[in-house]
Amino acid sequence: MTTVNNGYQDNNNNPAVAATKQPLPPAKSVDTQSVLKRLQSELMALMMSGDGGISAFPEEDNIFCWKGTINGSKDTVFEGTEYKLSLSFPTDYPFKPPKVKFETGCFHPNVDVYGNICLDILQDKWSSAYDVRTILLSIQSLLGEPNISSPLNTQAAALWSNQEEYRKMVMKLYKAV
Amino acid sequence: MTMEAASSVSDLGILDCVDDASITEIMESWDGFCEATEALLNGHGDLSVGSEFVSHAHSLCKRSLDSLVQDHFLRSLEETFERNGASRFWRHFDAYTHVEVMEMSKSPIQENGIQKVLYKALDDVSLEKQYQEKCLLMLVHALQSYKDSISEERHNSDAERIHLFSKYQLIVSSVLMTTLPRHFPEILHCYFKGRLEELSTIMAGEYEDDNESDDKNDMDLDEKNKVSYRGEMDIDECYERRKFLENNKLVKNIGKVVRDLRNLGFTSMAEDAYASAIFLLLKDKVHNLAGDDYRSSVLESIKEWIQAVPLQFLYALLAYLGDSVSYDNPSSGLKSPLASHPSSCYPGIDTPSEGLIRWQLRLEYFAYETLQDLRIAKLFEIIVDYPDSSPAIEDLKQCLEYTGQHSKLVDSFISALRYRLLTAGASTNDILHQYVSTIKALRTIDPAGVFLEAVGEPIRDYLRGRKDTIKCIVTMLTDGTGGNPNGPGNTGDSLLEELNRDEENQENAGIDDDMNIDEKQDWINAERWEPDPVEADPSKGSRNRRKVDILGMIVGIIGSKDQLVNEYRVMLAEKLLNKSDYDIDSEIRTLELLKIHFGESSMQRCEIMLNDLIDSKRTNSNIKATITQPSQIGSELGETGVSLDILDATIISSNFWPPIQDEALNIPGPVEQLLADYAKRFHKIKTPRKLLWKKNLGTVKLELQFEGRAVQFTVAPLHAAIIMQFQDQTSWTSKNLAASIGVPVDVLNRRINFWISKGILSESLVTDPNDHIFTLVDDMVEPSKNSINAGSCEELLVGDEEGERSVASAEDQLHKEMIVYEKFIMGMLTNFGSMALDRIHNTLKMFCLADPPYDKSLQQLQSFLSGLVSEEKLEIRDGMYFLKK
Repeated sequence: MTTVNNGYQDNNNNPAVAATKQPLPPAKSVDTQSVLKRLQSELMALMMSGDGGISAFPEEDNIFCWKGTINGSKDTVFEGTEYKLSLSFPTDYPFKPPKVKFETGCFHPNVDVYGNICLDILQDKWSSAYDVRTILLSIQSLLGEPNISSPLNTQAAALWSNQEEYRKMVMKLYKAV
Repeated sequence: MTMEAASSVSDLGILDCVDDASITEIMESWDGFCEATEALLNGHGDLSVGSEFVSHAHSLCKRSLDSLVQDHFLRSLEETFERNGASRFWRHFDAYTHVEVMEMSKSPIQENGIQKVLYKALDDVSLEKQYQEKCLLMLVHALQSYKDSISEERHNSDAERIHLFSKYQLIVSSVLMTTLPRHFPEILHCYFKGRLEELSTIMAGEYEDDNESDDKNDMDLDEKNKVSYRGEMDIDECYERRKFLENNKLVKNIGKVVRDLRNLGFTSMAEDAYASAIFLLLKDKVHNLAGDDYRSSVLESIKEWIQAVPLQFLYALLAYLGDSVSYDNPSSGLKSPLASHPSSCYPGIDTPSEGLIRWQLRLEYFAYETLQDLRIAKLFEIIVDYPDSSPAIEDLKQCLEYTGQHSKLVDSFISALRYRLLTAGASTNDILHQYVSTIKALRTIDPAGVFLEAVGEPIRDYLRGRKDTIKCIVTMLTDGTGGNPNGPGNTGDSLLEELNRDEENQENAGIDDDMNIDEKQDWINAERWEPDPVEADPSKGSRNRRKVDILGMIVGIIGSKDQLVNEYRVMLAEKLLNKSDYDIDSEIRTLELLKIHFGESSMQRCEIMLNDLIDSKRTNSNIKATITQPSQIGSELGETGVSLDILDATIISSNFWPPIQDEALNIPGPVEQLLADYAKRFHKIKTPRKLLWKKNLGTVKLELQFEGRAVQFTVAPLHAAIIMQFQDQTSWTSKNLAASIGVPVDVLNRRINFWISKGILSESLVTDPNDHIFTLVDDMVEPSKNSINAGSCEELLVGDEEGERSVASAEDQLHKEMIVYEKFIMGMLTNFGSMALDRIHNTLKMFCLADPPYDKSLQQLQSFLSGLVSEEKLEIRDGMYFLKK
């Protein structure tokens, strides 16, 4: 318990967590407990699920901060790529969604140059029924099926129609990383 | 020469005022004096030149040249002694230059030779010395008479004399020392050894004669010693005196030699020689007495022997030399605790001198040390024999209390353990047995358990590396009742007994606690406090917490009691499931004992398992009671001749039991119906609960009827199902049979061997190598060939050993845990790329909170990871682990 809390404070430099921490009343220990439990069981479920191509694990000392890995699905332009993500969970998770960002640059209509993702379930369509596993699976499928109508990366959105060129672009940018 | 020069200088003042005449006079008397001295010293007893010598000396003294006179005389003495005494003395021993070689051959003639030569040489040299002393005395008298003549008052003549004689003594010993041949100490040693051996055989002879008269019975050595102990106490003064009269001559001879040697300035050398001879003798004695027999205590007999032989000898020797006349000095700081009541300790010696006590302490210390070294060297064997060898342990304890060389014990025993016990060849049971014996034995020596900690560490480390350790420990804990004939009966006994003992201790402890409320008791406890021995490891807590507790130490091997409890649960489940009656008294007792030790909560699941059995018994009889109300199915069953009476069910709450192996199995129709009926009745009594049968578990008692005879078996359900199939059809192919029973062919082939080995079925190959034909052997083979007998319970065990166990073993569970860890490790490496061992360890500790949580040590994790590396799932580079791409 205490270790986790300490770890949390150590990570105050993380803007996402720090931002959510400020407005919260300090004595939320019972809630924190349940958040911890929830995250732990999600980790357990994720580890045991054996889903290919998605994975995530908490950073060494902070269970609110995870690193994720997504492999591009087969038969999409992202096949053979591996993207790193960061997930930071708010202290009132799962009532609020975690902040998810690409750490590896991703040439995708719904991902901006900073790695921010535009995905409805991570914003207004969030539900506490989602978990790390479903988030990762959604992002994985988002790679193959972007939402062209509201792009963050207009260049990518424009290129999407030409899958061959798009694939070339993806591989070029991916290798550059 | 320098001395002479110095005295000349001091005389310069006199020289200035002497005339030629007096110089001539001085020169004359000097020459005369020198000649007289020469003549006197080489005169071989001729003292005729005495008067001349005296007058020359007087005339020189008149000129105040007395110091010159003394110096010259002493120098002459020295030269003469060197020439006549020392060289001649040493020449006697030239023949014994190679005394060591001689000692090896132990020739008594040689020894006798030494004795004679030594006597002769000492006589000669003493004679020479006496003569020279006489000459010296003459000089002293000459000087004295001169002094008397010139002055009225008397000088202190003694001071002068003593001064000269001590100078002379110094000259003699320094001359001898400087010319000392290397082999002389050995010759002395050899001499004393020979004499002492002679003496001890004489004494021992009487010593034993005495015993013989005390008790004519033929007894072994240790008993004899016991008797001798008693005998010794009864010995009266008369007896002692008689003995010493007999030995007197021998002691006198030795005493004379020692005295002569002392006179020659060899005091310390002589003492060294006889001390080492005594020690050697003592060492031999200790080795003889102690030997390889650990079943008797030898310390007392050794002490007795010290009193009887070497101390008597020393007493006589010291008395002869005149050393022992001084009474015990009360201010002496070296008093032995024994000295406070000397009369009881020194039979026949009325006045123990300080020297003798010092000797006794030395001898006892030496004896303790020798015995201790002997026992420590054999400690491994002693502990192997443990309960029988407790006298030896007791001896060792006393020795160590005296010598304090515990670290020697620890070092030597650890190396013996490593060399002899902690090897691949030793079975885990043996190691555990030895460990328990070690704990018990060392608990005697060192109740605080400090040394045990040091000794136990390597054993524990080693046992942790063995796979079957936990299983063996649990077997030892539970199978002590002798219920299992092939179990390690003795070992188990000791541990179960330990459980019992622990229980008693706890009860006693309770009483103690009550008494502790009493202030008085507190005070007593406080006074009894002692600091830890210096060897104690301060990091391991103080002695009150370090209570030596065998079970605790055993559990310490495993690391956590949870693992032990888990293994016990698996074993208990196995045992309970194989029970055909509901008799669990011994299990309940064991569980109660374990509860005391491990706490209620950790044994809770086991308790539920036992309660299941008790409930089963009740439920079972309730269901049986419903038979009187015939149900529809029940009447049908009646026709087939199978009734509920023959069925006893064990109903378990499977959440609390270890995972149970489930195996599909088609059991014969009538039995199936019987089970269904039982389940139905159960449901009626215990609504809404339902019975789910585990059909592969349990035991079946069956009787096979052949023409002319019947054979009974107790077998597993699968075996029963197999043989039932042959009731209607005497020959089956393995595929058909497997399909009919509903098990895989390989399982069938394995299990059917039971019946083949019994000679009930026979196996024949057909063209298809995967298909066998099994046929019922109708006309039974002679009973002598197949070893069927009524008590075929062991057969069930044999069958089970090769077959599956009914409960997932702790090992399987461990494997399951490891799979969880593997997934976690894969997960973290996927996301973090590469990680070092301790980071993986910490991360697992942090996040792997499954049931049971991650509780492995760094070493265990490392070996697990290297397993994954060898499976090519991971890679390791520079201490960092990667996923294998």
